[in-house]
Amino acid sequence: MAGAVESAPKRGRFAPYGLLSPGIIWLTLFFLVPVAILLRAALSDQPERFVPSDLDFTWKWSNFSDGLDRFGPQFLDALRNALIAAAIVAAITVAVFVARRDLWHRIRVRLVGALVAAFFATYIITSTIDGWGDHFQRSFLYAGIATLLCIAIGYPLAYVIAFRGGTYKNLLLGLVVVPFFTTYLIRTIAWQTILFDEGPVVGFLQDVGLFGDSDRLLATPGAVIGGLTYNFLPFMILPIYVSLEKIDRSLVDAARDLYSTPARAFQKVVLPLSLPGVFAGTLLTFIPASGDFINAELLGSPTTSMIGNVVQNQFLVQLDYPTAAALSFVLMAIITIAVLVYAKVLGTEDLTG
Amino acid sequence: MSKRSSSTSTRGLSRREFITRGAAAAGGLAAAPYLLGGSPAWGAAGAGADVGGKLDVLNWILYIDKKSKKDFSAQTGIKLKYSDGIDDNNTFFAKYQEQFANGDHIGFDIVMPTTWMAARLIELGYVQPLPFDLMENAGNLKSELQDPVWDPTGEFTLPWQTGYTGIAYNIEVTGREITSVEDLFDPEFKGKVGWLLEMRDSLTLAMLSTGMTREEIAAGVTFNDAKPAFDRLEDAAQSGQIRRFTGNSYQQQLLSGDFALNVAWSGDVGQLSLSEPNLRFVVPEEGANGFWADVMCMVATSDRNEQVAAWCDYFYDPVNAARVAAYTNYISPLADITDELAAVDPAASENPILFPPQDVLDRLVQFPLLDPDEEERFDERYAEITGA
Amino acid sequence: MTAVQDQPATVDAPASVEVQRAFPPPWLRRVGSWFLSLYAGLGLLYLFVPIAVIVAFSFNAEDSTYNIEWDGFTFDNWADPFAEQGLVDALVLSLKIAAIATAAAVVLGGLVALALTRYRFQGSGFVNLFLVLPLTTPEIVLGASLASLFIARTYPSPVPDSRGFDAVLIAHIMFCVSFVSLTVKARLRGFDWTLEDAAMDLGAGPVRTFLKVTFPLMIPGILAAALLSFALSLDDFIITLFNAGDQTTFPIYIYGAAQRAIPPQIQVLSSMILFASVAILVTGTLIGRRREAAATR
Repeated sequence: MAGAVESAPKRGRFAPYGLLSPGIIWLTLFFLVPVAILLRAALSDQPERFVPSDLDFTWKWSNFSDGLDRFGPQFLDALRNALIAAAIVAAITVAVFVARRDLWHRIRVRLVGALVAAFFATYIITSTIDGWGDHFQRSFLYAGIATLLCIAIGYPLAYVIAFRGGTYKNLLLGLVVVPFFTTYLIRTIAWQTILFDEGPVVGFLQDVGLFGDSDRLLATPGAVIGGLTYNFLPFMILPIYVSLEKIDRSLVDAARDLYSTPARAFQKVVLPLSLPGVFAGTLLTFIPASGDFINAELLGSPTTSMIGNVVQNQFLVQLDYPTAAALSFVLMAIITIAVLVYAKVLGTEDLTG
Repeated sequence: MSKRSSSTSTRGLSRREFITRGAAAAGGLAAAPYLLGGSPAWGAAGAGADVGGKLDVLNWILYIDKKSKKDFSAQTGIKLKYSDGIDDNNTFFAKYQEQFANGDHIGFDIVMPTTWMAARLIELGYVQPLPFDLMENAGNLKSELQDPVWDPTGEFTLPWQTGYTGIAYNIEVTGREITSVEDLFDPEFKGKVGWLLEMRDSLTLAMLSTGMTREEIAAGVTFNDAKPAFDRLEDAAQSGQIRRFTGNSYQQQLLSGDFALNVAWSGDVGQLSLSEPNLRFVVPEEGANGFWADVMCMVATSDRNEQVAAWCDYFYDPVNAARVAAYTNYISPLADITDELAAVDPAASENPILFPPQDVLDRLVQFPLLDPDEEERFDERYAEITGA
Repeated sequence: MTAVQDQPATVDAPASVEVQRAFPPPWLRRVGSWFLSLYAGLGLLYLFVPIAVIVAFSFNAEDSTYNIEWDGFTFDNWADPFAEQGLVDALVLSLKIAAIATAAAVVLGGLVALALTRYRFQGSGFVNLFLVLPLTTPEIVLGASLASLFIARTYPSPVPDSRGFDAVLIAHIMFCVSFVSLTVKARLRGFDWTLEDAAMDLGAGPVRTFLKVTFPLMIPGILAAALLSFALSLDDFIITLFNAGDQTTFPIYIYGAAQRAIPPQIQVLSSMILFASVAILVTGTLIGRRREAAATR
């Protein structure tokens, strides 16, 4: 526990529990219990189509299989996508750590193992539920790519703010957050205005010859991934910034002396110390992105819809609560397993920077 | 207040008097605070203000002109809260189902779903019979609409507007006239085609494209009948032929050029083509869904009989109905408003979208009511295809 | 970064250090550094692309119901920012929910953070994990599960038995508690608790100690957390949509408008919120710098 490093927290018998209880009770009543009720709904029968409040709890496991079975078998697609995704993640992780042999070596091995295990768990679960498998696959694929893009854009930005921001650090950080004070939806709608077929961006791409006449940006997987990347970028930048900011500057200077090239010093010192931020950012980006439906709805087409769209439609349009509950429970189960594995590897203290 | 509306209000006087004779005095009392609040329009309307009270109406977007709302309040003394919150029948139902089922008041007295949804509301007991006994103008309803299948006893609904479905296209983007359902599947327009989330409109076109005849559709549709149509739609969606399934928002994509052509509702395109001459509307040679209707229903928990009756009466007055029809470009459910429409908006009275010629009328087929047990299979299958 | 591949693996050998030191010449480092800043600048610019569009379209003289094409510049929309009654109602509702949810979450979450940093006790690891879970659960699952709770009428009153204002409030407090406690906890970590003991030794009672010593030290963390949860609540769409019933919050209004017609007032109000937050940010930075300057003097 990090407590040892800090200025000795007190040992308390009742006081901490008293302080905790209101918040924890709230979370129990309105987070844990609802999830249990969701699971109950997922195992219930809905006798009257238009009266979803009257559910009969019957241990109806077939909600999972029937509900998930609707889109026809996608078993092979699921397998292929999961394997590709696992391979990409493993390759990137290995590439990041490849030249290291010390303490981080052990972490790396555990991490690669954990990632591969998580993706195989994902694969096994999603492939057994073949029906909506492609929606799950799409969700994780789009969210995964968006997360990688967020790292690619967010890390350098956080790095420059943390190390070169100087007195403008807080202002720059504020500028990262400010766009997100306009509502999520209106930002996504603004992307519609930017990317539409007769719009300036497509026009430019056609003028320079990158795009043919029939190519487009809106209603493509690219637009959905782009929207996810944009909307969750600050959730990547902020934790990375926090972990970079914590790094002792004298360490970096020492590393510069030792390793001579900035790139090498970065790789040996800054990168390993900022990894907790990257992983926290990854969770805060990947998880909401995988359950999102707004980007797929506003920027996508019928072939890009994600599991969030299905849950939203089953719950809020079709009023089929058991199916919606079963699907969202599967989504949560997959993500919780992955998070627990991460937490095991990295420790919960680091999850939020 | 303009000249025309003051003359309408004077015309409304006698009718209003008649209504209020049957109305409870409480209605008039409830108007008192509002009277004191005194809108400037008030004086002009004068003694027409004798119903009073409040009325909350929920309708679709762009379904009424501003003037009618103001004039209605001025004439009747009813404080109107009008929301254009319906985007889609299914989401409308889902949004209020819980309150309906609990017997809570949803905050509206009148809602205007499409006929098939109205049938469901009636079946579930969420709406009550309209106060026809307090109305004077209900008899102006077209005779064709007087024995509705969605409302077998005829007590629960009164149509607001009727219309038909067809294909809207942007001639600049398509480069040619559109005549057939097959154009929606033409690879030339791959990724530029929009369909409606409203299943009955899309499905009618898809079924006609898979060889069903209008007579077969009119006689009743089972899930098996619709299967080939669903499959064809699914192929088109999966292959990328269909760009999106939308509600009213297709107008935006039609204007921006994202859609070259799409399944559309008649009145919308009538409204849009006023400012965008490149937009056209056609009922394909195979046929399309029509006439459908959005109907006024009174929610079961409302006790504002007088106000609801006043609303229905106001909009079943030919002059007022003509003004709304001229604005919406949909087709009024009133028997004959040609003269009134010509007075309000001469151009509208010659608009073929409002007055479809006989050959178009012959191509329309009304999508039948679905068996409630089968409806769920239809909805589920359609949800799979639309990618929701 | 390309230099990395060219490096020999024998980093620890002192001889190679000289070789490496010579390799990227200073000018290349400068170019590399310049390029990095440029890349980061472009990243920041990317964040503002849609924002620019929103602000620009708030000045659009739209001639159709759809505010999507540029039809000319006008101040009309700004002259009448509250023209759409439904939009104004929705914004007011959202601000109200955000304010109440933030106030409640700051109290609940602040206490949790205090307990976690101030004391060592059995089960603190579990509490830490528990606080993270709502953040690592997709919003759609949170929304669906809370909605099931209200629909199933699980709790006796005063917990509402249907969706609506109270349900949205409960949901927002729930996820804000997590954010607040984690943010405050991060700020309190490494905090010098001996100050409290000193105050006690000097004869201050526990309440006085809390008010005079502990609380003032918590204030920056609490402010940051409050700002964060206010923003999150104001912007939340998915959880709210599942639990709003017939309530229309600002995001839900915009969602509806996206299906129909987007009045330019949406862009105007969004721009106003944006400008207000920029103003707060700049003022905050200026005050912070002045304080810093005063402190170093």
